[in-house]
Amino acid sequence: MDQLKYLKVKIREYIWLLVIAEDLLFLTLILTLSFTTHFHLIDKALIAFGAVLIFNLIFIIPLSNIITEPIEALWLAILHISPSSIENIKAPDLSKLHIGKELVTNLVGQVYQLNNIGRAERKNEISTYQTMGRDFLAKSLPLPIIILDNLENISYANNATLKYLNKSEDDLIGKNVYAVLDMSFPTEDTFDTWLKNAKQTTAISSNVWERVKLNVDEQHPTLYFDLAAYYNLENKDNNNTIIVLFDHTKLYSQDDQAISFIALAVHELRTPLTLLRGYIEAFSQELSGKLNPELQSFLDKMKAASDQLTSFTNNILNVARVDNDQMELNLGSEEWSTILTEAVQAIRIRAQVRGIEIKLNIAPNLPKVGVDRLSIQEVIYNLIDNAIKYSANSKQILINSMLNNEGLVETTVQDFGRGVPESIIANLFTKFYRDHHNRSQVGGTGLGLYLSKAIIDAHDGNIWVHSKEGEGSTFGFTVLPVDRLSEEKRLSSNDAIVHNAHGWIKNHSYYRR
Amino acid sequence: MNNKRKILLIEDEYFISELYHRALTRAGYEIKMISDGNEALKEALTNQYDIILLDLMIPNLNGSDILNILRDKSKIQDLKARIIVTTNLEQRPEIKKQIEDKADAYLIKAELTPGELVAFLENIK
Repeated sequence: MDQLKYLKVKIREYIWLLVIAEDLLFLTLILTLSFTTHFHLIDKALIAFGAVLIFNLIFIIPLSNIITEPIEALWLAILHISPSSIENIKAPDLSKLHIGKELVTNLVGQVYQLNNIGRAERKNEISTYQTMGRDFLAKSLPLPIIILDNLENISYANNATLKYLNKSEDDLIGKNVYAVLDMSFPTEDTFDTWLKNAKQTTAISSNVWERVKLNVDEQHPTLYFDLAAYYNLENKDNNNTIIVLFDHTKLYSQDDQAISFIALAVHELRTPLTLLRGYIEAFSQELSGKLNPELQSFLDKMKAASDQLTSFTNNILNVARVDNDQMELNLGSEEWSTILTEAVQAIRIRAQVRGIEIKLNIAPNLPKVGVDRLSIQEVIYNLIDNAIKYSANSKQILINSMLNNEGLVETTVQDFGRGVPESIIANLFTKFYRDHHNRSQVGGTGLGLYLSKAIIDAHDGNIWVHSKEGEGSTFGFTVLPVDRLSEEKRLSSNDAIVHNAHGWIKNHSYYRR
Repeated sequence: MNNKRKILLIEDEYFISELYHRALTRAGYEIKMISDGNEALKEALTNQYDIILLDLMIPNLNGSDILNILRDKSKIQDLKARIIVTTNLEQRPEIKKQIEDKADAYLIKAELTPGELVAFLENIK
């Protein structure tokens, strides 16, 4: 604006110069005339000069303003659209122009037009920049990212996803996420239950899962990853779920490899162990009743120790089978009281050598159950074995079996030992999980409960624990009456969550194997 | 007594043979033990046994071959023995299936003590 004022001043100066020059010329003319003929007119001539001078003086200012009007209008128009102008400048009012109205209107119009083109280009630049950012970040980020629409179909998968899953875009885009990702979760907190819940109850939700297992295809080794998911109800185009996979295949499969190796080694233990048990049995048969109490107790302890070692090797081998999906169950119609009594009888000596008494109470008239005899006895061994290990100074274990309210055969194993701290109860059925406080005092691999859960799940039963630190624990499980079993199997094909002998919770019934 | 059940025990592990022999004899069976595959087959074909305990890992002719021949009608008609396969090996599923189809029972030696074997045989009549 200062420059505009300066321009006006300059223009005024030039007009001044022009007027002065003109007036001087006029004055010279008058003076020249006066020295020649009509000198008597000099008075009138001077008056006329004075009038012209005054007229000029009056009109210099408006004239200079009128002359600068077009340029001022143009100037205002430019300032108006300039992004760097600080003042709040209004568009010029072209209707008030005294001169060059058409020209200025045209010029101002062009200025605005240029500005619009420039603005469009800038916008274009910004959106190119955003696309580039998105492509570079999402597409090239070495982290599999998948976006789902509200029908849980995949609407976007970045390059890392394609590479990680060894799939093409056509294999993924538009497909149901559960059809592409055959995920198994270590607990019942699964992706689909979370998403279902998030959709029903919240607008925004996020969650993280560890040790998720993914079966890609026959040729592809199993993948393990941590999974993070974010749900936002209001996201654009209904693309409201993002999932990100953090690969930990190497780390998480080590445990499984360790088990495979141990299983191989343990296998070699079986033959000598069988022989030892055979010879101990021969000793028991030949010498029972003939030994003094001390030697008899030694023989019992040998038997208890070899039985315990047998349970251990069976656990290891069974976990390897569970993990490799090779556990086979032959569910047959069995008398529960016989199975339970047999199992308790087999393990009783292990309790006796520690001075622990097992009290068994089986309700009469239980229906026949549908179980795999050997596997279900492993469960009983494991629960009683645990009760023995954690009994501390208490000397009693109670085993109860009855028909519960739901018509299932329920068996509980109760000890009065150290109990389980509440904080770790949730992890108790996880592989390798043991209470750190107890690790030094109690032996074991931490596989027994994991295996028991896998076996009970495969039977379509439930397993649980109630415990109070310092007062002991009660582990319970259910098995189905054999006539309920077939019914249950029929129904479970429509179930959302499928329990199988695998020890993992399958994500979706779609993939039942 | 004359109607003692006769068992052909085909097994090459010395300790297992000893333990099974002792336990089965004690339980009142009449036992013949053979550790060589060819000899075992020859003996089995005499068809004088009630039960054949057949280990899969034996020298010269292995257990599954013996099983196949004993189940081949052109080689022997009406074999009266129940064939019980014993092994310590975990078989691949398809082989296990074949064995289960042809044998009367399939036992993992490590899962049974000799006493339990006797109890098992009592239930196979």
